[in-house]
Order: sequence, then C-alpha cells, then structure tokens
Amino acid sequence: MTATVPTPTSTTAAARAVDVTKVYGAGDTVVNALAGVSVEFQRGQYAAIMGPSGSGKSTLLHCLAGLDRVTAGQIFLGDDEISAMSEKQLTLIRREKIGFVFQAYNLVPTLTGLENVTLPLALAGKKPDQAWLDQIIETVHLADRVDHRPNELSGGQQQRVAVARALASRPEVIFADEPTGNLDSKSGAEILGFMRKAVDQLGQTIVMVTHDPVAAAYADRVVFLADGLICGDISEPTVDSVMDNMRRLGD
Amino acid sequence: MWRATLRGLFAKKFRLVLTSIAIVLGVAFMAGTFVLTDTLGSVFDNLFANTTKGVDAVVRAKEPFKASNQAGGGEQTRPPVPGSLVDTVQDAKGVDLAQGNILGYALVTGTDGEAVQNQAPTFGTPWRSPSESVNQSSEIVEGRAPRAPDEVALDLKTFEEGKFRLGDTARISFLTVEPRELEVVGAFLFGGKRDGLVGATLAAFEPETAQEVMNRVDQWDVIEVKADAGVSQTEVRDNIRRALRDAGLNGDFESITGEQLAKEQSDELKKNLSFFNTFLLVFALIALFVGAFVIYNTFSITVAQRIRELGLLRALGASGKQVVGSVVIEAFVVGALSSILGIVLGILIVSPLQGLLSAFGIDLPGGALQIEPRTIVVSFLVGTGVTMVAALGPARRASKIPPIAALRDQAFDGGAGRRRYIWGTVLLVLGVLALLNGLFGDLSGGSAAAFVGVSALLVFVGVAMLSPLAAKPAARLLTWPAIKGNFITGILARENAQRNPRRTAATAAALMIGLALVSAIAIMSQSFKTTFRSAIEDQTTADFILSPSGFAPFSPEAAQAVRDELPGSTVVEYRFGTIEIDGDGTAILGASPEFTEMTDAGVSRRAAAAFADEGGMLVHRDTAEDRGIEVGDVLDVRFPNGPGTLTVQGFFDDKKALPTDADFIVSTDNWDGFPDPLDFYVGVLKPDDVSTKEAAKIVEGIADRIGGVEADNLAGFVDRQIAQFNQILGLMYVLLLLAVVIALVGIVNTLALSVFERTREIGLMRAVGMSRVQLKRMIRGEALITASFGSLLGLAIGLFFGVMIVQAFASDGITLAIPVSQLVIFGVLAALAGLLAGVLPARRAARLDVLDAITTE
Ligand SMILES: Nc1ncnc2c1ncn2[C@@H]1O[C@H](COP(=O)(O)OP(=O)(O)OP(=O)(O)O)[C@@H](O)[C@H]1O
Ligand SMILES: [Mg+2]
Repeated sequence: MTATVPTPTSTTAAARAVDVTKVYGAGDTVVNALAGVSVEFQRGQYAAIMGPSGSGKSTLLHCLAGLDRVTAGQIFLGDDEISAMSEKQLTLIRREKIGFVFQAYNLVPTLTGLENVTLPLALAGKKPDQAWLDQIIETVHLADRVDHRPNELSGGQQQRVAVARALASRPEVIFADEPTGNLDSKSGAEILGFMRKAVDQLGQTIVMVTHDPVAAAYADRVVFLADGLICGDISEPTVDSVMDNMRRLGD
Repeated sequence: MWRATLRGLFAKKFRLVLTSIAIVLGVAFMAGTFVLTDTLGSVFDNLFANTTKGVDAVVRAKEPFKASNQAGGGEQTRPPVPGSLVDTVQDAKGVDLAQGNILGYALVTGTDGEAVQNQAPTFGTPWRSPSESVNQSSEIVEGRAPRAPDEVALDLKTFEEGKFRLGDTARISFLTVEPRELEVVGAFLFGGKRDGLVGATLAAFEPETAQEVMNRVDQWDVIEVKADAGVSQTEVRDNIRRALRDAGLNGDFESITGEQLAKEQSDELKKNLSFFNTFLLVFALIALFVGAFVIYNTFSITVAQRIRELGLLRALGASGKQVVGSVVIEAFVVGALSSILGIVLGILIVSPLQGLLSAFGIDLPGGALQIEPRTIVVSFLVGTGVTMVAALGPARRASKIPPIAALRDQAFDGGAGRRRYIWGTVLLVLGVLALLNGLFGDLSGGSAAAFVGVSALLVFVGVAMLSPLAAKPAARLLTWPAIKGNFITGILARENAQRNPRRTAATAAALMIGLALVSAIAIMSQSFKTTFRSAIEDQTTADFILSPSGFAPFSPEAAQAVRDELPGSTVVEYRFGTIEIDGDGTAILGASPEFTEMTDAGVSRRAAAAFADEGGMLVHRDTAEDRGIEVGDVLDVRFPNGPGTLTVQGFFDDKKALPTDADFIVSTDNWDGFPDPLDFYVGVLKPDDVSTKEAAKIVEGIADRIGGVEADNLAGFVDRQIAQFNQILGLMYVLLLLAVVIALVGIVNTLALSVFERTREIGLMRAVGMSRVQLKRMIRGEALITASFGSLLGLAIGLFFGVMIVQAFASDGITLAIPVSQLVIFGVLAALAGLLAGVLPARRAARLDVLDAITTE
C-alpha cells in the first residue's frame, strides 16, 4: 500500500462549502449564522437555497461568493479555494468567475442598462463579445431598453439588466439573493424563466436564495437551511414538495 | 430641536471637522492680522512715547500746506524753525527749559566698510547731557557723551552692528556736507531698549555740530520744552501759544503738548499700518468668501442627504420654519465653534505670519502680542455670520422639502431651477457693469478699487450660479481622453461628476475664486513688468542707475561722487517732493536739469534746452491742457520752506520711464525750497572716453563706499526693481494659497460626503469586480474633474479681469502681456492639487467593507 494523500482533484462541483461556520459577534451576543455547513453545487445546475428568516441563507451565499469571510471551514470555487484568498484575488474572482443578482439596487445609477451589463468586463479591461452580448440581451428581452438609465426602467427591467450583467462575463456561478423578492409575480416569473433558460441553453450554474416555493420550483434542486445547518436537500422540486419540506422544518 | 441638532452634529465628526477647517482658517487669518497690526501699533506707540520722553511741549513751524495727493515718500513738508525762536519760547511763562532738536539724515559706516542700515531710516540728532536736556529718550550706557565737533555717540545696536569699540573712528555721511570721520566716544540706549528704535539707527553729535552736518545751521526742526514743576503740559503749551501770538509769530509757528506730538506721530505711522492691515484683511476675507462656498456646499449636500429624515419630520407635523431652524442652529454651532478655534489659531499664527512676511522682505518689529476685544468680537461675528449666511440657502431649501420626500430614497440636490440661472445672469451682468464702471468710469482710485472688488464678488457668485450649466459639457470635455481610451474608471468618474451638476459646480467654484485672483494678478503684473522693462530699456539711455537698497532715499553725496570721479559723465538725480500748486499740495518729481539727455519723456527740444538752462518746471501735457497752463507761465507755488515761483518751460507726455506718475517735473536747481535734498534714483551716462567696464568699477565703488545705495547697469536695475516687485507678488500668491487650500478642503468634503451617500453603489461595484485601485482611481478622477473645472473657470474669469484691468491702464501706456505658460502651470497645479484632495475620500471609499456596503440601508 502506498500512502497517497487524497488531493482534491477536479470535480464537477462549481462551488463547494466544506464544514463552514460563520460566527457573528462575541460574548453574549454571539450568533452562529452558519454552524458547520458542507454543500456542493454542481456545474450546469440551477440550485435554490431556502429556509426560515435568519437561518443563514444570505450568509452562506455571501461566503460562497467571496463577499464574506468564513469563521472556519473552506470554500471552493471550482478548484480554487477562495476562503484562502486575498482581497485582491477575490476581486478578480468576483469580476471574472462570479455573477451577482441582488434583491434590489443592483445597478449603477449613472450608467445605462448596457453599460451596467458590460461593467464587469469593462472593469477587467475586456472587450465584450458582441454576439454573446446580443444573445443574452435577446434572452432577457431587453433590446429596446438597454440605452436607458436605471431610473427609467421598471423594477422588473432593472432585475433583467442585473441578470444580463451576471451572464455577460460567462461566470462559473451566478449567485442570486432573492432576485424576485421585490417583484410582482409576473415579473418574477419572467426573471426565473430567464435564469432557467440560462442554465438550460447556455449551461450556466446558478445558486439562488429564495423564500418563494414557486421560485424554488424553477430550480433543479433545493437545499434547506435552518439555524445555520443543512436540514434538507431535494432534487427536481415541485411547489408541493417544497411546501412539504418547509412545513416539516416549521415543526 | 436644539438637542436633536447637536446630537446629530457631533455624530458626524469627520464632516464637522472638514466643514470647520474652511472657517477656522479664514478666521485665524483675520484674527492673526488684527493681532499683528495691533501689536505693531503698540510697538510704535511705545516708540513715540519714548521719542517724546521728558518733552512737555514742542514748538514747530506750521505745515505750509496740506498734501492732497501724496506720492513717493520721505519728503518733509514742515520747514525748520530759526534758532532765535528758542529765546522767545524760553521766555514764555511756565517754561523751565526750551531746546532745539533735530532728527536728520546721518548714515553710519561700520568698521567693515558696510553701511549700518536695515531698510529703516538712518538718523542723526544733537546730544545733551541728561541733566541739561529736555528730551530724556536716551541714556549713555558705554563711554561718554559727544562734546567736540569730531565726536559721535551711537545707539547701542548700531554700535554693535558696526563692530565699533570706543575710540574707533566712524565714517558718517550726510546730505549737504561731506562725509566725516568722527571718533566714537559712547553708546546709548534709546527708550531703555536695545531695539527701541525699531530698526532705525541713531547717531548723536554735539549740538552745534549736529546743526552743521544736518543742514540746520542756526535752525532746528523743533523746539522742545520742559515745563516748570507743577505746570501741566497743556498749561505750558497755552502759555507758549500766547507768547508766540504776542511776538506776532503765531502765523508761522505752533505749539502742541508732548503727548499730542507722540500721538500724532504714532497715528501717522498707523495710517500706513492700516494700509497693511487692509492688505492682509483682504486676503483673509477672500479666504472666508471661499470658505462660505465650502459651507454652502456642505450644507446643501447634507440637506439633500437628510431629505428623507426631513421629509419625515414634515410628515410628522414639523413646520417649514422648524426645519429651517434646525439647519440654522447647526450652522450657528459650526460657525461659532470654528470662529473660536480660528481666533485661538490666529493668535498662534502671528509669529509664523511675521516670519512669512519677513521671508518676503517685509521685516516687522516684534512686541508683546496685543489682543484687543475688537479682534475677538469682529473675528467671531464675521466667522459665525459667514457660516450662517452660507447655510441660509440650503436651510430654505430644506424648508421646502415636501413630506412626500420621506418616501423617496435618492439623495438629490434638486435640479438647478430657472430662477437660479436668471439670478446668476443678473449678478454676472451687474458684476461686469460694476467692473466697467470701476475701470473706465470717472472715479477716484479708492472707489474705483471698491467697484472692481464688488464686481469680482458679483461675478464669482454669478458664475457659480450659472456654472452647473457648464458642468456637464466640461466634464465631458475634460474626460475626453479617458472616454476615448474607454477607461471605465474615467467614464464612471465623469458620470459621477455629472450626476449632481450643482454640487460639482459649487465645489469647483471655491477653487475658481483662488485661481481667478491668482491669474488676474499674474496678467496684471506681467503687463506692468513688461511695460516697465521696455519703457526703461527703450526710453532711457543711462549706463548706470543708483537706487536705494531698501526704501529709504539716500544722500546726494552719491551723485556728487560720480560727478567728481567720472568727469564728463551726465548724472541725473531724481527726487520726490510735495509743493502747493493752485492751493493743492501736489506731488512733484525733482529731476536734474539735464535729465532729458538720458530719459525720453516726450519733451520737445526747445523745452528741454530751456529746462536745462534755466531750471523751472515741465508739466504733463494733459494736465497743462486741463488747467490752461502755457509755456512761459510763471506759477506762484509754495515750497515747504516758503513761497516761490516756477517757470513752465514746456510739456512732457510720457511718464513710463519716470520714477513717479507726478504731473510736474521740477528742476533740482529749484530745490532750495525743500528742507533736505534726498535722492531716490541717480542715472549716470558715462563719458565716451571711459570704457563701460572701467566706469562700472568706479560707480560700483562709490555705491559700496556710500552704503544704502545699489549701482546697476540698466538691465540690472530693471531686474532689481522687478525682483523687488516679484517679492510682493510672491507674498500675494502665498496669501492666496490659503484660499486655494480651503477650496481643496471643500473638494475633500464634497467627495467624502458623496462617498458616504453612495456607499451601497460602491459596494455593488466592488461586488461585481471593481478593485480597490479602480475605486480609488474613480474617486480621484472625480476630484480631478471637479478641480480642473474650477481651475478652467478661474482662469477664464482671471483672464477677463486681468485683461480688462490692464486695458483700463492703457492710457498710461501699460500694454497687455499674458504670461501664458505661467497661467497654464497655475491651472495644471490646481488640477493636480484637486487630485491630491481626492486621495483621502478615495481611501475612505476603498476601506469600505464590500458586504457592509451592499447591505447598508
Ligand atoms: N453582520 C452581522 N452581524 C451580526 N449578525 C449577523 C450579521 N449578518 C447576519 N447576522 C445574523 O446571522 C443570522 C443569519 O443571517 P442571514 O442574513 O444569513 O439570514 P437569512 O437566512 O438570509 O435571513 P432572511 O431570510 O431574513 O434574509 C441572523 O441571525 C442574523 O441576525
Ligand atoms: Mg437574507
């Protein structure tokens, strides 16, 4: 027998959390936002994270995206351990390998829709691939609005611009934190549809936090969090199966 | 309301500090100026109290006329009194002792051959032993009193600076007699202090010798009186007046008390001091004016940022007045605190300020700092007032915030309304009209300057109000290279600078003011310098010019020495004086008869010949026409020494190459009417048979020997004059620097507040991949755009003012010269300084935690 060290070889996981804990505060006010979470998100998959308010969903997403530091454990993006990276490296990772869609205030108000879409590319000093750009703008039905500033766009349109921006740099993963939380159900459905299309047609990987079982049902898989721990994981979710799971958590 | 406002205020310390700096600096400058001039005033009060120590009353000649338009300096308009008057005064009731005194010209040469002189006058005076002397200002501290014609005593400082020992000989120069070698027999203290003379030097002679060497044979400048014991100063003065009247002399002579004399002399000096005070105060006010822009802007921004909070207050039932109140209270607290700090700082900066002035050739005596209540009250009121006035606009805007604003989420300064632009245009037009009136209207010098000042104020405010219109295109223009190169940070910086044109414009306006003033001054001075140089070089053929080392005129001994040692040369002396013409004290220029051989003043051949042969006077052509003066007229005039006549020999029409802008040139042959001949400049045209090099050696040798005089060739003279001018210019630039620094503080403030209000946006950009470096670059870019905009506006206004002001002097032959490269350098420096101002806010922004930033409300 040869003593081989099991090295983490290339896996299919786009993003991975290994035994991640995240503690806020100290002393009496200490909060264990994540209490030892291990989870993998596969390439080309659309995953949702659900759980009660305060369960640590946003915290997990922020840690996965390199926006927040873990207290213990490791985070990998592809083969790169981002939990060990410097702020400078993280900036490059965010710019090139990660896309973001937040719940609101996604856009830089001084830039037009198109400029917002190409912002990460511009920051990287890259020329956008025009064909790709046309394709995503087509995908999110924005062709006639891209020259407007955010304050001239509706909330739904703004979120579509945000999705387009997230797609523009062909990131390894797109992280979305309640992207439809501020939208009516029709606009929300549109956004979710686009994200679904991005996964199916463009091979994108998406991790999305949501409270809405309907939104979760667009995903390929739903991970449930409660009190900073994974407490459920279902594939091919339907609105009903998600609701079931949530009810169980509520008990 | 009070408590809430105060709590809010101290919560934002950074903002409070930055806002304060703008006012603190201006107030400190103002308070420092007051303290400095008050301190100087007390130094001079002291000096003159000492000068008249022991003197209960003086008798002197009446001033022959009141000078209405003084020019030049150093001229004495009061004639001496005859020696025989002493007996008349001595006989008056209550007079214990009456004695003549003189304060004349005597320049001491030190043992090293250098004249002992520190830009201040060099005096000579008679010495009497304290027990026999009315005047008790001095006491011997080394050696003894001068008793013989070949003896002299020196004030201790001069004694030490000249490195004398008792028994040494000192060479002393005078105005009307040959220099003498006198034995130094003693040293004395004036006013009990080593520097009691405030820079001047004093040599004391045996009284009769003093009269001889200082052109007062059988004469005195004044008669000093000691009253009998128990007789008051006013009593003895009144007695003397009566005695003068009884002797029929009260038409020519007058008597005042010692105290009155001290006050009069001190007031005279303080008049000059008040010019100086005004000069510095102008710069302090400029700094405060710029500070007002910064305050205005800070309050505008904070009101905009608090729009939700203020809207909520309104929604909850606060009246518009209450909202205004809260902003005004904040302004009052900021203004009052800043003013107090400023006053303290002002007292601390007095000695650095004095050091600064001294670095620019203005040496002032020091003394115990005088902090008058006026200093504190005025500085406090001005500082607090400026702050509150500046905050009034934002406060009014705050009161107009509708309750619905509570529901909006973006900080927004409000679009610039039409009314703003209308007002801006009105102010701008008024400003230009005021300028035209000030420059080309028929006004006296003082009110013309006031009009120009007010005009600058109006134009600055007008342009500041209009400039939001230009902010967008300017930002576009300035970032053109960045946009061309498709640099995202440049584009973002531009967009940020454009998003609130009013804010950008107001921030830039503060910098604009400093730059406008600097560039206007640069254009004016360049024009004056160029004109001066070409006038001297084109219109003067002198080979050498002698000029004073400091500001004090020198003895005609220098000119005489040149005549003696360089035979065949033409030597022209220039003097300044005042005589009465047509009932007005009028500044005149004294010039040697042959001055037209050296200087082209547009004098006809015939007039020049007549002036050279017969003396008399030349009149400026315009003045002659105005007054109907014709060639051959014999004018009845009054010299300081008494009435006389001057024959008009002709006209001159070009003053550019002359040392003053007097309208009358009087021959030095007619100088008997003046108590003393003092030269300000001497031009020398060497004889053909002496080489320039040889002649230079001789002339320089004379200047070295005589002291207090510099000898240069024509180019060297121009350079020296321009160097002196440049020193004052440099001082003005340094003083304006304060206004620029305050404007830069304004940029720091605006950007810091903008960064604060855009926290979430910055977080977002960082989240999607903006690096810290890019973020910093973006914010510094914003600073650069704002500063460049301000500097462009400033250059434009400065150019306009500079050109207009120079045009106003076109009739005096001043031609416009624009120092292009200097202006470009100023502009670029200001822009770069703006870049520097962006460093701090950029760093603050880069330090923001990404996650905190995107999750802030
Ligand atoms: N910066 C912070 N400092 C202290 N505690 C924090 C911080 N951020 C989050 N928490 C705490 O960590 C826990 C998890 O928060 P998180 O935002 O991840 O919840 P969430 O699942 O996203 O909730 P929601 O559905 O309401 O968005 C909560 O108890 C929260 O109070
Ligand atoms: Mg959350």
